[in-house]
Order: sequence, then structure tokens, then C-alpha cells
Amino acid sequence: MAVENGVKMIVNRVTLLGNKDHGKSTLIGSLLIETRSVSQHRIDDAKKTSEKLGRHFEPGYILDSFEEERLNEMTIDTTRAQVKYKNTGFEFIDVPGHEELMKNMLSGASYADFALLLVSAKPEEGITGQTKRHLFVAKMFGIDRLVVAVNKLDAVDYSRERFEEIKRDIGSYLDKIGFKTANVSFVPVSAYNAENLVKLSDKIKWYKGKSLMDILVNASKSRKIRTDGQLLIQIQGLFEGNDKSIFGKVISGKVKKGDKITLLPLGGSAKVLDLFVSGRKAKAAGRGGVVTLDLDRGVGDDIRGFIAVNDKSACRSGDTIRAILLTTRNISGRPSIKINGMEVGCRKMTIDRYIDVTTGESKKAKRIKPLNAGLVELKLDRNIATDAFERTPEIGRFVFYTNKNFSGIGIITE
Amino acid sequence: MIKQDIKGLEERSIYVIREAKTNFKNVAALWSMGKDSTTMLAIARKAFHGKIPFPVIHIDNGIDFPETYQFREELAKKWDLNLIVAKSKIKPEMSGFACCGANKTVALKKVLKEYGFDALIVSIRRDEHGIRAKERVFSPRNKNFKWNYKNQVAELWDDYSSNDDSDGHIRVHPLLDWNEIDIWEYIKKNKVPMNPLYFSRDGLRYRSLGCLHCTTPVKSNAKTIDQIIKELESTKKEEREGRDQDKEKAYVMEKLRSLGYM
Repeated sequence: MAVENGVKMIVNRVTLLGNKDHGKSTLIGSLLIETRSVSQHRIDDAKKTSEKLGRHFEPGYILDSFEEERLNEMTIDTTRAQVKYKNTGFEFIDVPGHEELMKNMLSGASYADFALLLVSAKPEEGITGQTKRHLFVAKMFGIDRLVVAVNKLDAVDYSRERFEEIKRDIGSYLDKIGFKTANVSFVPVSAYNAENLVKLSDKIKWYKGKSLMDILVNASKSRKIRTDGQLLIQIQGLFEGNDKSIFGKVISGKVKKGDKITLLPLGGSAKVLDLFVSGRKAKAAGRGGVVTLDLDRGVGDDIRGFIAVNDKSACRSGDTIRAILLTTRNISGRPSIKINGMEVGCRKMTIDRYIDVTTGESKKAKRIKPLNAGLVELKLDRNIATDAFERTPEIGRFVFYTNKNFSGIGIITE
Repeated sequence: MIKQDIKGLEERSIYVIREAKTNFKNVAALWSMGKDSTTMLAIARKAFHGKIPFPVIHIDNGIDFPETYQFREELAKKWDLNLIVAKSKIKPEMSGFACCGANKTVALKKVLKEYGFDALIVSIRRDEHGIRAKERVFSPRNKNFKWNYKNQVAELWDDYSSNDDSDGHIRVHPLLDWNEIDIWEYIKKNKVPMNPLYFSRDGLRYRSLGCLHCTTPVKSNAKTIDQIIKELESTKKEEREGRDQDKEKAYVMEKLRSLGYM
């Protein structure tokens, strides 16, 4: 939430998407300046750096703070910047566009409520494999609100044809991967000249829509959450080493004093004698609440990553998961996943289908090329409590490792 | 400056602090007696029902403000803190980069080695500085305290990777998402005791607190928390403009932090 004149507002987290050099950092930098969301000191610092490097003023330097990022004109790691516009708060998440920096891109984009894709209109740039890969990632993350900014329109004489061409091609890729296109808006911009970012540009008269910021203000927040009210608490650990007192975070539903809870996957049950929310005694706690539960009996000390429920059918337990897996490197060595805050080894991994994320096409195959995806089945070393991402995102996603090295992300399908 | 939902921020910070306590054997927190690390301690007290279960370290170069020392003594007693004072010797000829680099970081290395801490809670915020904005919530340092910022660990959703095989320690940043104004809103709502230097005297107040040598006050008539919040709602100035080290030259913060500074 954010405030103008003492009124708090929701901060919408918007991740940038797009190929390297299509203008993501420049766009955020320009937005920060246009909406007066950044101090003169930060602008002057970017100006000075630009001069020193003998370059035109680069608004992207407000975000790209590392020396190496500025020298090489590339974003290495993700960062965030907040913008206040028409009483709405936004947090823009800048991400690197380079293929070899997908790890950092995923780290940033995973926090987003919706996405803003940049595609450069320049003939030699346009839609690339990486553009599509980022859209695929957004779809995996459950983002279903998307704005596409067709950038550098000044470099193609503000060509309507070029804009329409990119719009059409993005639309057909989104159809292919099942991204609901009703939730997509397209806007022609020049990030560097701040055209159509806040104010509509005189040079793009054929465009009858709203400015980028006005589109974002009207875009509703769309983070996926569990909606059926079933209780799910992710267990972090024991309070002071006492297995009758556990702490965790409420993912869905409400926990009340006196409730009987069951800890999945093992299925042990206990009664909630006392309940604390943010360290204070309470009668009940809802979604987001960080809780301590005092129980009528011990539940053992190996309960990290367990899910506490009222109803055993609220999520799944087992040692087999099926998932869409996006890989960031060649898969070799022993796989493991991190889910619900714990690491679990995989004794067997079967690849059913390969998805070329640059085309959206899938086929039967035994391996996944790096930076692409697949449908896989994982047999885990132990039972875990999970759910389909579609129903309960928090326990339906995992980080994928091979030989302890970060190797990708997964979304559980069943 | 955007005011966020402090209830949500507090929940997330409690979660992160509990993650640190659960995932590491020997956690400690840095406490400078400033507004951020004092707020962090107030949150840690809630996370553990009133009693913070890990030591808090003051890197003491001997030249903090008298008010700061007094505040330290009072609050350490009131909150029953397990306080470790790690003395660092300052050399009068040094200031800024050399001073923060040599004195504070050296003392920190020494105390970590002596006690064997494997995780250190540090109360930095993304909105303070462009370099800090690039941080992870769980951020590894190697045994020489180096921050490998060119190849940071993956950190997705709220899953804070402990897969890092670095031989050093992990920096834990529970306040990364907070804005300066959120800190003051929290202090107000939770009546967190505060260092008196933040409040205006003779038209001046400290907005960001360092040591005597490198901190200068800013012009302000804000004598109460409400007045500070009001001031921050409209300011266009940088929070750390009264801090020397950030000004010296470009990339100073990057260099300091890559060497182990907070």
C-alpha cells in the first residue's frame, strides 16, 4: 500500500519483460523522472555518469547502479523502483534481458502481480526468442495481466504498420501458450523520449488508446490466490525447540483457537490450545498471518515444510509430482527441488514432453534443451504436501537444482 | 515517498527473521541504535514473543554520539538484549571510505570469527541506495566477506535459498522492502523507543545516523514522529545526504559493500 496525503494504497508489482537492449531500464528510468518519483540527486548521478562515459543522458542508470552495468550498458541484476501515479502505487521490477542472466530475471519477476513487456520496433530487433521466453515465464508464474509496450517507435517513423505487426505476432504466440489475450493491452512508446509513457505523444496521432501509466492504473491487481477458504498453514519450524509449539504462515483460510489441525503429509493431528499472530495472542488468523500455534500434544521436530489443514483434502500428499519445468542450464547430475522452504531430493525424473518456449510447440522427447521447458514427472525421496499451482500457487511451485546448482523452476500441474 | 501497508511488511519481516533463526545455527543481528535496526529489533521481539533469542552486535568505533550510547544502554536493559559491543579502533587520519572500510568491516570480521556466527541480520532497505536495491533477502558473503554481486544466488518468491555453498556467512535483510516513511509509521504505531537525535533541535535533525565524524544533520523543524512523517511525505531529498561515504565518489557504496560493509 502507498499513500498520498496520508491515505494508504496497494503497491502493484509490475515486472518488466523483454529482450536485452529493448529498453526496460530506460523505460523505468523515464517513468521515474516523468512521475517525479526519484530525487534530483539520483537523476544528477545518472547524468554525471552519462557525461563521464561520453554518452547521451541514460535514464536507465537510475536503476543500473553497478559500475559494470553502466560501463557495459546492461542490467546484471534485478532491482525495484516505486512510482506513485494518480493515487496508485507501483513497484517496477527491472530484470536483465540476457539469456545467461535468467536466474536473476526469474528472481525478480517471481514477485510480480502483472507484467510489462517491451518489444523494440527497430527492424533488426523486434520479437526474439528471449521475448517469447519471458512471456512463457510470466505465464508459468501465473501472471494473467499483461501490457505490451512497443518501444523505440521513434526509430521507425512512428510506423503504425510496425506496431500492428508486432501486436499480431505477440498475440499469436500468446494464443499458442494459452495466455488469455483479453487481458493484454498494447501501447506504442518511445521510452527514451518519454512518449506515451505518461502523456500521449503528438507524433503518434493514429494511436487512440491511453498512455502506459493510464493503462496500468486501470489494470486490476491479479495475483492468484486460493479462493475456496480452506485452511492451509505452511509450517516453518518449532518455537524454542518445543514440538508442542509451532510457527508458520497462513496461506489460505482461517485458523482459530480450538481448531483441530492435521499436519500433512504425515497426517498427525493436534488441537490448537493457543494462537499468536505476529507474537500477540489472538482468537483467529487469516491469510498472510505469521502465527505461533500452541498444541495439545507434540508433533515431532521434523515438520518444516509441512502443511497444516482442517480438512485433509485441502491439498495433496505424496512422493510423485508432475510439473512444467523451465530449465536454465543443461540438466545433469542429481536433481532436487526446494518447495515449502525445504529441500527434497529426486530419485527419478522422467521427461514426457519437450516445449520449445521460443515457438510454444511441444513434442515427445527425452531431454530438455537449456532455457526451454518440459513436462516432467518427479519421484521424490520423501512424501511432501503440495497442490496444483493453479489452485494453491504457494505450495504448487518449486525451485529446481541439479547437483545443488540452481537449474530452473517448476510449476506443479497435478 | 510511498507509504506501504506496514502490517503486511511486518508479517513478511517476522517470517524472514524466523527463517533466519530456523535455517542457521548461530544467528546475530547488527544494531547501530539507528531507526532501522531498532525497528528490526522491535519486530524480532514480536517474532519471538518478547525475547530476542540471538545476540545483537554494536560495531563500536568509539565515536558514536553520546545520545546513541545512552540510548543503547537504556534499550539493552529494557528489552533484555544479549548485547555484544565489538570495539573498532579508528585512526584520526582516516574518514569516509577508508574509515568505514577498514574500521567497521575489520571489527565485524573479528566478532564473527570469535563467535562463529553463520548468519547476520542487517537492517538495510532497498529505497536507501541504488546498490542496496540490488540485494537479496538472504545474501551470501564468502570467508573474506566479499559480496559476489555479479553472480547473486537465485531467490524466488519467499523461498530464501540456503543452497549456497559459500564458506562465509549469510546476510539476512528483513527490512529490504520497507521505505523510510514505513519505518516511521511503524515506530509511531508500535511506540518503538527512538534515538533522540532524529528529532529537531535548533532547526536541525539527523535523518540518517552514522558516527560523529561522517554524519551531518539536515535542516528540519520536525520535533515529533508525526512531523517527521509529514516532512517525508513531501521531501525530494535523499535520506543519506547527511552521510559522507556515499558522496565521495561514484560506486563507493558498491565497493564498500562488496568488501563486507553493510
